Amino acid sequence: MPKLNKFNIEIETGKTGTDLPVHFTINNHKLPLEDIQGGVGPSETFCGGFEIRSFAHSLTLVGPESGRWDIQKMKVDYDCEHTPPYSVVFGAVTLDETTEVNIWQDPPLPTWDV
Amino acid sequence: MSVLKKLSQMFSGSTLQQKEAGDATAEVKVPSDSPNAFAEEPPVHRRVIQAPVIVAEAEANVPSDQILIKAEPSRDNEQCKFMVNRPLFEGHSWLFSNFEEAAGSPLAESVFSVDSVETLLIHDSTAVVTKTGAKGLSDWEKLAKEVGGVLRKTLEAGTDLVSKDIIAQIPSEQVVKEEIQKVIDTEVNPGVAGHGGKITLTAITGNTVTIEMGGGCQGCSAADLTLKQGIHSAFRKAVPYIGAIYDETDHAAGSNPYYR
Repeated sequence: MPKLNKFNIEIETGKTGTDLPVHFTINNHKLPLEDIQGGVGPSETFCGGFEIRSFAHSLTLVGPESGRWDIQKMKVDYDCEHTPPYSVVFGAVTLDETTEVNIWQDPPLPTWDV
Repeated sequence: MSVLKKLSQMFSGSTLQQKEAGDATAEVKVPSDSPNAFAEEPPVHRRVIQAPVIVAEAEANVPSDQILIKAEPSRDNEQCKFMVNRPLFEGHSWLFSNFEEAAGSPLAESVFSVDSVETLLIHDSTAVVTKTGAKGLSDWEKLAKEVGGVLRKTLEAGTDLVSKDIIAQIPSEQVVKEEIQKVIDTEVNPGVAGHGGKITLTAITGNTVTIEMGGGCQGCSAADLTLKQGIHSAFRKAVPYIGAIYDETDHAAGSNPYYR
């Protein structure tokens, strides 16, 4: 598991949105996203990030305190130590007050033609 | 007051000490039902769910007249997966544990002809190889090129890739399912139950087994050891015609995986 320096997330909300602020958890510590742009209302796009500089045993996006949040797509850009930057696109998911969604993916494995 | 007594009181949690200027240490009893000023509200336990990961289609899966092979060593460099754009053993899987077991299967014979290949697992259009000796990424780069070369050569020859004897001994999915479930019920689960664990058979595809580790096994740091040295061994000993064994447990998900 590499050290996660920073991550940025772009969230496309579907039909049901929620309210700001958007929180995430890093190793079960709940924090608001920083450098935010856009919104999380219906069909809106939101961007935010956080400078972690630690090892991500778990990284999740927290659901709203009440109601539902339909997420259509999430793109997460990871900046990890000793690893080229990489991105992962997650598909649709619905969050509520009882859920959080995993947004951590290990760096891709090296692959080459033989 | 002795250092030992002070330390004992510091960790006892039943008393608070208030040291006032000029006074001797005053001990204040805290009732057991008194709210702790430093205690935070209990955290809300949310369930961690997974969103589907959208990945671009791998080049190896793109139809092509050419034989395309990609090598992908595992994160711990213990094994290397070769993804081929055509089937190696369609619908089934097979583990060749050594060179002797490769006899009669041209694909396995060719792979074992490469120096330092230890085992070969084939499943549909993938081959997974383990090696003896050093297992760094650079070690795999050289070996993967050789393995890719012999795989391509065998595929180009157009002969049967797997021995007919192997194909003949693979029973129906129902038989595989019954046999594996019996091993889980009589050997595996009684063994892991002592640690609060439970193994569930989630799928049998051909002779490929997929399981899920639950209870105390989910998220446990020893889950991989349990899987490889305990479960794999028990399955293969009792049901020798099974091929690949996959663990689809999400060890980080759920409201209470072991490490959280």
